[in-house]
Amino acid sequence: MIKVLEGSHAVSEAARLAKVQVIAAYPITPQTHIVEALSQYCSDGTLNARFINVESEHSAMAAVIGAASGGARAFTASSSHGLAYMHELLHWASAARLPIVMAEVNRALGPGWNIWTDQTDSLAQRDTGWIQLYCEDGQEALDTTLQAFRLAEAVNLPVMVVLDAFYLSHTFEPIDVPDQEMVDRFLPPPSPRIRMDTADPCAVNQLVTPAAYMEMRFNTQLAMEEAQRRLVLIEKEFETIFNRTHGLVEATHCEDADIIMVTTGTVTGTCRQVLADLRSQGEKVGLFKLKLFRPFPTDLICRHLKSAPKIAVIDRNISFGAGGIFAQEIRAALCNQDPHPQVFGYVAGLGGRDITPDTLMEIYNNTNNQPAPAEETIWIGLNQETVESWRN
Amino acid sequence: MQDPKIDKQLPLFVPHSSISTAVNKTGSWRFFHPKYEEKTAPCIAACPVGQDIPRIEMLAFRGQLKDAWQTILDENPFPAVCGRVCFHPCETACNRANMDDAIAIHHLERFLGDSAITTGSTSELEIKPSTGKKVAIAGAGPAGLAAAYFLTRLGYSCDVFEAASEPGGVLRWGIPAYRLPRDILGQEIRRIENCGVTIKCETPVTGRLLETIHKQYDALFVGCGYGRSIGLKIVGDEFARDGLDFLNSLHREEKMSFNGTAAIIGGGNTAIDVARCLARLGTAPLIVYRRRIQDMPAFEPEIAMAVEEGVRIMQLVVPIRIRETAGNSSSSLPGYELTLQKMKVSKKEISGRARVIPDGEDTATLTVQNIFVAIGAAAAALWQFPDSKESKTLTLSHCAFFEHKMPLIFGGDLTSPIKSVTDAIASGKQAAMAFDTYFKHGMDAIEERLANCRVGAGPALSMDIYLEKDRKNRTAHIVSYDEIVTDYFQTAARSVPSTLDAGQRIRSFTEIESTLDNNAAREEAGRCFNCGICASCDYCRLYCPEMAVKVENARRSINMDFCKGCGVCVTECPRNAMALEEEIK
Repeated sequence: MIKVLEGSHAVSEAARLAKVQVIAAYPITPQTHIVEALSQYCSDGTLNARFINVESEHSAMAAVIGAASGGARAFTASSSHGLAYMHELLHWASAARLPIVMAEVNRALGPGWNIWTDQTDSLAQRDTGWIQLYCEDGQEALDTTLQAFRLAEAVNLPVMVVLDAFYLSHTFEPIDVPDQEMVDRFLPPPSPRIRMDTADPCAVNQLVTPAAYMEMRFNTQLAMEEAQRRLVLIEKEFETIFNRTHGLVEATHCEDADIIMVTTGTVTGTCRQVLADLRSQGEKVGLFKLKLFRPFPTDLICRHLKSAPKIAVIDRNISFGAGGIFAQEIRAALCNQDPHPQVFGYVAGLGGRDITPDTLMEIYNNTNNQPAPAEETIWIGLNQETVESWRN
Repeated sequence: MQDPKIDKQLPLFVPHSSISTAVNKTGSWRFFHPKYEEKTAPCIAACPVGQDIPRIEMLAFRGQLKDAWQTILDENPFPAVCGRVCFHPCETACNRANMDDAIAIHHLERFLGDSAITTGSTSELEIKPSTGKKVAIAGAGPAGLAAAYFLTRLGYSCDVFEAASEPGGVLRWGIPAYRLPRDILGQEIRRIENCGVTIKCETPVTGRLLETIHKQYDALFVGCGYGRSIGLKIVGDEFARDGLDFLNSLHREEKMSFNGTAAIIGGGNTAIDVARCLARLGTAPLIVYRRRIQDMPAFEPEIAMAVEEGVRIMQLVVPIRIRETAGNSSSSLPGYELTLQKMKVSKKEISGRARVIPDGEDTATLTVQNIFVAIGAAAAALWQFPDSKESKTLTLSHCAFFEHKMPLIFGGDLTSPIKSVTDAIASGKQAAMAFDTYFKHGMDAIEERLANCRVGAGPALSMDIYLEKDRKNRTAHIVSYDEIVTDYFQTAARSVPSTLDAGQRIRSFTEIESTLDNNAAREEAGRCFNCGICASCDYCRLYCPEMAVKVENARRSINMDFCKGCGVCVTECPRNAMALEEEIK
């Protein structure tokens, strides 16, 4: 059924349809609407789940770790400082191989205190062993959340479904909310491989010496690699039931492109318009949407990007002293290809500054006008007056 | 429909063990170890008889009223009496006062004593097998009765000789009924008699009786008190009535009527008692005191209540002459003219009290209808200490021991550092321990044996420790407020029983204060920190990360195989009943 929902509630609907059994969360803008709706579902009986109120995000993650250790389908959501506060437990969840699903709404970290979108929070957690999926719109957020449970339980790794603050979390769109019966077909009740039981006491996640630690890590790496293959299969099955698919990545007009724009999240939607405009003017431009960031789909990136002379990567994040994180990773993925494209790294839209079609045109033109990137990272839309005032 | 490849299981390599973690003896990591170490609460150390107050309150809070009462009886045969008349130094020492208000220990003691009387509880005291020895006790006041009570429990046969018609001493003939109803006193004395103590009233210890005692008994305790008043020794002192004698007559229910005003000379508790009784008999009492009001040795709350009841106090005056006067008009009554020397405060102090000197030749006169004297008392002439040259002597905190013809102990007011009922009881208990040690181990063993029974560092002695029961394991360390983990306690107001107002009080000798009711008593007992003792709160067990705390038969112990010495139990113990010690391996 088509409903007009905000992005946050698309995720809440997915968690409800997934029949999650335990939710533990701590409110933080812009994530709050997600768990607010779920707590309502728990209290009115729409959802038969245990909602655990906690005093912090650290405890929220600890509680879902506990729930998942007992074999429950567990869900949480966070943003920004809340996610950062979870950090050590994010490592724990993945190393303990617990299939937890978390919605993460990208929000800038303070100071300066800022509630608007910025990807640095989720990207700072890229090495915690969580699968990361970046969503473009409300429908994708709902569908991805459903797929996330299937994927997490298939490979025993936690999954982070990532949404841009406000542009996605608080924007109302018509969204197809599937029937429970269809969802049940796609997502059966969990059959957990890790399920602590007081009737059969055991110790888990105790001391692991150097003699076994490395194998344990390699085992997780294999699962991460497998996750990409499983997601392809899951998407196919999803498509047969729901007649929709989103892809791990999406390449539009990349085959003959002179310049390929690489986007994540809601910027992709804006870029689709810019792409159409430029193509109608005869410009050979392509669009590559990166949805799956962990595991990093190096093979797909190489396949779609290697033959273009120039790549323009738009990063709504910054790794200080290095540059945009997506640009770094794409550059690294392509460097062993011969020949390989010139990779232009653009940082734009930090802390919720709008990325408009004009912003993307500026990026396109800059890429078009330079034979090679003049700098590793090009900042777009900086207030030059402010910046100039720092130079003496 | 579903693709089986999606859910095909991957190899999963996670740490997992079905072997009990008990194989990991975390105790080997330890270099500190915790232990249960009960300490001394400040209230117990301040109590002249060393009553186990934190335990009494713990039991009272749990509703184990009889056990709580029995715990008092271990150290003091007079709960209902002391709950009323003791000046409760325990409450001044109470750690709880740092948080909100001190525990109402005396109200709770009285509640427990009264509950036992109302419910007809019988004490279940352990009485040691008979030693075959007999002890004579001179005086059935609090000291003599306490000595008899404790000696009986230690296996001695005791006869108490009392000059008066009924036992009780100061409790019966001194303290007014509005502070201590006589039926309460009677019940507590009867319980002592029921232990096997014989009280022979109207049997003063004369020289002849003393000879008999020497022949028929193995020891003598003298607790005859200060029954002999000190006189004024001024011109006309024959017109002044003795205060103690007045109280005595009052308690004998002699009919007495007084008109007009009465001057009471003195500033101690007896002066206050006389004045307050006179107020109830319809006179206008005026206390005449040589120093200032703040120098009066009477207990402060007693002075305050006297003032409320209309007692006036004239300070800094000393009587120098009394002259009889006849009523000179129809409106004035016959009476006495009291000439007073005015005094002033000298700059010098004598042991904390202001020294007063005559203020030149300045005098004042006062016309009153009655004059009473209450300026102190002394022992009867018969009770002089034996010559120390002829006897082996030992001076204890509350007693004097003489090995003179027969073992002889002087106690009560004769030897106590503070002239109070509770100190008198303490001296009786000390005497019992001293006699018992004397007969079993000799005179030289007494000092050390008694020192081992001290509560904290103070002079109070515990019979429980003497009998080598649980309290002997407590350390002398007195728990301070900053050692209490106050996070575990919430502020709560102190329970106060209802009292009669001054207007109601002066109409009769009815008791002023009431007893706490059950609920109020329970709430009040629940406020107690139970400093230094294990109250079975179980926080040590709940917080132990190794689950190394065991509870067996309500006693806690630590499994040293698994205690890694983190000290969480010691830190969390709300009442400092644990300690952490370094372990040298």
